[in-house]
Amino acid sequence: MSDNNNSSNRRNFLTNVTKVVGGVGAIFAAIPFLSSMSPSEKTKMAGAPIEIDISAIQPGAFKIVEWRGKPVWIVHRTTEMLEKIKNDAEHLADPKSDEEYQPQYAQNKFRSVKPEYLVLVGVCTHLGCSPLYKPGENKDLGLDWKGGFFCPCHGSKFDLSGRVYKAMPAPYNLEVPPYYFASETRLVVGEDRT
Amino acid sequence: MNKKYVIFFILIFSTQLTYAASGGQLKPVQIDLGNKASLQRGAQIFFNNCAGCHTLKYHRYSKFVGDLGISEDMIKSNLILTTSKGEKTKLGSTIVNAINHDSIKEGFGVVPPDLTLTARSRGPEWIYTFLTSFYEDKTRPMGVNNVLYPNVNMPHVLWYKEGLKEMDENNILTVKVEGQLTQKEYEQEITDLVNFLTYVSEPAQLERYSIGLWVMLFLVFFAFITYLLKIEYWRDIK
Amino acid sequence: MSKFMAWVDERLPVSNFVKNHLSEYYAPKNFNFFYFFGSLALFVFIMQIITGIFLTINYKPDAASAFASVEYIMRDVEWGWLIRYMHSTGASFFFIIIYLHMLRALMYGSYKKPRELLWLFGMFIFVLLMAEAFMGYLLPWGQMSYWGAQVIISLFGAIPFVGESLALWIRGDYVISDATLNRFFAFHVIALPLLLFAVIYLHIAALHTVGSNNPDGVEIKQNKDKDGKPVDGIPFHPYYTVKDIFGLAVFLTIFMFVVFFLPEFGGFFLEKDNFVPADPLKTPEHIVPVWYFTPFYAILRAIPDKLGGVLAMGLAIFVLFLMPWLDRCKVKSIRYRSLTYKILLTSFVISFIGLGYIGMMAPTPILTILGRLFTLVYFGFFVMLYLTSKNEKTKPVPERVTMYE
Repeated sequence: MSDNNNSSNRRNFLTNVTKVVGGVGAIFAAIPFLSSMSPSEKTKMAGAPIEIDISAIQPGAFKIVEWRGKPVWIVHRTTEMLEKIKNDAEHLADPKSDEEYQPQYAQNKFRSVKPEYLVLVGVCTHLGCSPLYKPGENKDLGLDWKGGFFCPCHGSKFDLSGRVYKAMPAPYNLEVPPYYFASETRLVVGEDRT
Repeated sequence: MNKKYVIFFILIFSTQLTYAASGGQLKPVQIDLGNKASLQRGAQIFFNNCAGCHTLKYHRYSKFVGDLGISEDMIKSNLILTTSKGEKTKLGSTIVNAINHDSIKEGFGVVPPDLTLTARSRGPEWIYTFLTSFYEDKTRPMGVNNVLYPNVNMPHVLWYKEGLKEMDENNILTVKVEGQLTQKEYEQEITDLVNFLTYVSEPAQLERYSIGLWVMLFLVFFAFITYLLKIEYWRDIK
Repeated sequence: MSKFMAWVDERLPVSNFVKNHLSEYYAPKNFNFFYFFGSLALFVFIMQIITGIFLTINYKPDAASAFASVEYIMRDVEWGWLIRYMHSTGASFFFIIIYLHMLRALMYGSYKKPRELLWLFGMFIFVLLMAEAFMGYLLPWGQMSYWGAQVIISLFGAIPFVGESLALWIRGDYVISDATLNRFFAFHVIALPLLLFAVIYLHIAALHTVGSNNPDGVEIKQNKDKDGKPVDGIPFHPYYTVKDIFGLAVFLTIFMFVVFFLPEFGGFFLEKDNFVPADPLKTPEHIVPVWYFTPFYAILRAIPDKLGGVLAMGLAIFVLFLMPWLDRCKVKSIRYRSLTYKILLTSFVISFIGLGYIGMMAPTPILTILGRLFTLVYFGFFVMLYLTSKNEKTKPVPERVTMYE
């Protein structure tokens, strides 16, 4: 009788050990398969920082570059444009950029490192369309349009710092990617200054 | 510890099998993928001498950072010698070159082959033997011929290192013109280069053996437990 | 939990299924080493499906990028090399297992009444598996993939009248090309696996209807106790589940050793020439199929006539389907059969292995003669079996199974 008991204890013990060890093995075996679906070396490298020569962008002009498959805008803002941005706080949803849609060094009035250069990810925070650059006066966008970005998909409007106006479909300001100036004319997008 | 296993398995399996499979006229070469310094030297030799004509088009520069311990700056300044669209080739791009295939075909008669997988398709011993078997032959367009690959169209690019050998009537090669290196130093450099090309042909080899060892230990343990389990249950069966 | 199971059982009889096929499915208690390979084959099939799915995530069935996409898997995809080696090694192990599984059937007469249908389904699985492996081998788009497919498809060209148009129809082009690669991909990843799944289901269903044979060839259902349980039977679960798990652990140890330390297996599992991209203008010096096809390839080469060779190769596979009717001996297991059968089966196995070796080598005069000899022995086995089995001198078969410690 006691022999029987011993045997059944041993049996239960071995069954449980097999289950645990087998389970651990199965989990380890799953790791390679699951991680094979994460971005490959090629994809990661395509997402590497990019360098842009900004000397050719005239004041008031706008340039689109591609970073990680998304449009990144560079706007060379004139003093006039910067003046307009200063005086529009009451119509904006998040004028001080409290929501963290920008690196810390861009959490300021002009949402940029150098006020004259605006760098934004050109993807609407609503549903992922790319807004249009409308720098000048534009009657279609309202008589008080001071210049900014307009999303054609659902009509969200942003000012010239990419801040969203109140009561728009888009919930947040446009995202500022990590970037720094390698020199006076070289801009690096995709990486903080190290 | 792991390195020893790597050497052990490579010596036992890959070298012997490939050596035997290729007919035996090949010279053996000691591959040691655990030797980072050798791999780095091999990379440098490749990019200084071979990369002008040959590509490694399935491999990326960025892999050298983690695999060979070469820093990004070193790769950018020393290994990446090509440009694309007017800008220096990116770290993440594959290793191709800028040569014009038509013009090179006119010059050499063939397009120089991609070398990513040569160490797998022909074997490390083949590359080693090939690169140590050039000799002077004035009848050939490039002035050299090769014992292993007769009438090959490739010039003896490394002749400035090895010197120039000539073949006597017994088909023995002897050095005729001295190069920068002694024969032994040259053989060491070629070993490094072959070591590097072996790594490029299968980068997974760097981790395959050490991971495999853990998997083996786990499975042997698991087999042991399940054996006890089977014995325990089967005591019922008379 | 039991309440939940009761709820489910009312709607789908899961508990009954478990009972009928595991905890109250009685298998003979005297299974030996050869009886591991059925469950292992099922395991490898599932493993091939899983690794295959993860390979298709990154593979590109396009002649221009197929080769590069395999190398991409090997170096740029995280753990891609492991998944690829598991799949390529798995293919070879699948055949090792299947060949041993078939040998088991030949040794213990597992194809005999009442298991003829079980054997036929098994043979269909074997043929489908060969098609699956052949089409999968084209996908890496290396030199061996290309020229191997070229040779095999050209075999269909030997068929009188329709041959050439049939080969053209299979390729979808005048040579092996992007069109061929694309359709082979479709067959390899969806059509054939679905068919395999269906036939494997039928194979197991047929097995569970008639019950397993065993090394003694004794029908355990003829000897039941008062509860109607076979006296020589034991519940599949837990006894054979724990045994098969142990078998699986040993198998995985061997399998993973090859995956991690010998994935090319000296050129048998991954051929050297297949690391060169397909080049329609340049045939490699030495084309051979992968090892698991070489016995049949050697039979093809043994016949000095194109059509004859193709027919002989086809016949070599087809004749196996007829085993239940060629072997007219009532005794199942080799343990109680005549010396004649033992000699016949041994020479058959030797000829099969010999043909496999010859099929890998470049043809030389001696090997060609040897290949013809082995081909003769291969077919001779079936002829002699038919002639001798009817009046075979057998030993008495015991009433009960025998256990060896």
